Amino acid sequence: MKRLGRFLIASLVLSALAAPAAAQDKPAALISPEQLARIRAGNDECFACHSPAGITHPTKPDLDLKRLRGLLRDADAFYGSDHQRLSCTKCHNEGYDEHPHAADAREMTSTCADCHDKTASAVGKQFDQSVHARNLADTFTCTTCHDPHLMRLAAKLADPHKIVAQDNRVCLGCHDSDETFAKFAPEKKTRPLIDEIHDWLPNARAHWQAVRCVECHTPAVATNEPISHQILDKNKAEKKCVSCHSADSSLKTRLYRHLVSEEHQRLGFANSVILANSYVVGATRHVLIDTLLMIAFGAMLVGLLAHGIGRIVARLRQRKNNER
Amino acid sequence: MSADREYLISPWIRVWHWTNALLILILGVTGISVHFADPALMLVEFSLAVRLHNIAGVTLVAAYLFFVVANIVSGNWWQFVPKPPGILQRLIAQGRWYSFGIFRGEPSPHLVTKEQHFNVLQALTYWNVMYLLMPTVIISGLVYLYPEFAPDKLFGFDGLLPIAMLHYLTAAAILLFMLSHIYLGTTGKTVGAMFRTMFTGWHEHE
Repeated sequence: MKRLGRFLIASLVLSALAAPAAAQDKPAALISPEQLARIRAGNDECFACHSPAGITHPTKPDLDLKRLRGLLRDADAFYGSDHQRLSCTKCHNEGYDEHPHAADAREMTSTCADCHDKTASAVGKQFDQSVHARNLADTFTCTTCHDPHLMRLAAKLADPHKIVAQDNRVCLGCHDSDETFAKFAPEKKTRPLIDEIHDWLPNARAHWQAVRCVECHTPAVATNEPISHQILDKNKAEKKCVSCHSADSSLKTRLYRHLVSEEHQRLGFANSVILANSYVVGATRHVLIDTLLMIAFGAMLVGLLAHGIGRIVARLRQRKNNER
Repeated sequence: MSADREYLISPWIRVWHWTNALLILILGVTGISVHFADPALMLVEFSLAVRLHNIAGVTLVAAYLFFVVANIVSGNWWQFVPKPPGILQRLIAQGRWYSFGIFRGEPSPHLVTKEQHFNVLQALTYWNVMYLLMPTVIISGLVYLYPEFAPDKLFGFDGLLPIAMLHYLTAAAILLFMLSHIYLGTTGKTVGAMFRTMFTGWHEHE
């Protein structure tokens, strides 16, 4: 049961990676400004201890500051997250009303699936097939990747740079850190060096600034489906550069899916919605200029060929005349 | 100068010329493969094309720097400058010969000498290609290779866009020149005479 609970937590938070369709399973009730003020006032009581200020200016003399140091949250980041309208006690409910908190309070914390039940069930099936489920089923939860105090849905972030920064921080947090990787990885499993396993990819680090790991490490899905949570290992991940670097770029159904309706071929560029952020060679082409250049090359070849044939014919005629 | 052939082209020019030719060919093929990348087209595989393009591009920078320095040191740069008097008239005469005279079996109006390897049209074209197009394609290519030097954003687009377009258009102009250059190489005393000159250094007078 405990394992199932962990999994459900995992599947819920992973859903934050997904597209708008997977947003809230249970629509959040409209909250009045007064209600929100009350929620935040309640949260302030939590942040009074669970923030850097709680360490520098402890509110109570008997606090275990060493333990508290590992339980700090950033109030500003939380109020920018998708859960910004929730009170802390929405999830950290029974046993957290008083301090010291109840001994079993942690176990009573709500799971992601308590709210995101539909998403959790859909994501669960994908997660079961992912490399994380295969190797880390016991330790991997939604919150391993998706910190519910920080995450924002891609569609809400809107800016591809922010989406990339948020999501890649999650992947690289483990896969580019020996310390964090060791916390989850099975014994004897050493962390493959991220640059080494991507050495086939030209400008790998530049890619990680411009696109998410999941663009290649998830299977293709239809535009109206959320990005899959079936994280693929290096053997199954996309290695065909042209799937993004071509006129029919898959970036339109991935990182730029929520912006694709804004595609207007600005100034005649194909995939101009991508071009607003990145020049993606092969994808962000100017259709008219390409056509004109191809005509120029064709004309040059035809012209040279005609000139050459003309010379041959003239030479043959001359030879004939000379023979006469 | 009674001999039919004359030694004109120094070894460094010939080595540079064919190195440059090979690099431009590699850069052209891989550049086209990257720009027109499409799963349905038989082009060089994308990541391989990118790597080859980068290596050939950096080698081209070295080859070009060598060309510029060697040109200055040897005085060969003077060959690229059309000399008065009558530049325009000679230009017209050369154009006429390529358009008409060549078909009538007339000799080229330009007499190749040690002092003047190129006819006016060649000198002007080569000057523009080597001192205008090449630096443009090289500098834009270097910024492309180190995009942190490109502006972040420009008119609502990625700042790399003008660099990439400049690189693409200049490269296209160089490739168009290359096609005509190869073809016009057949207009010597015989079809292969000028190609032989570029290997042996000996020019065969018409």
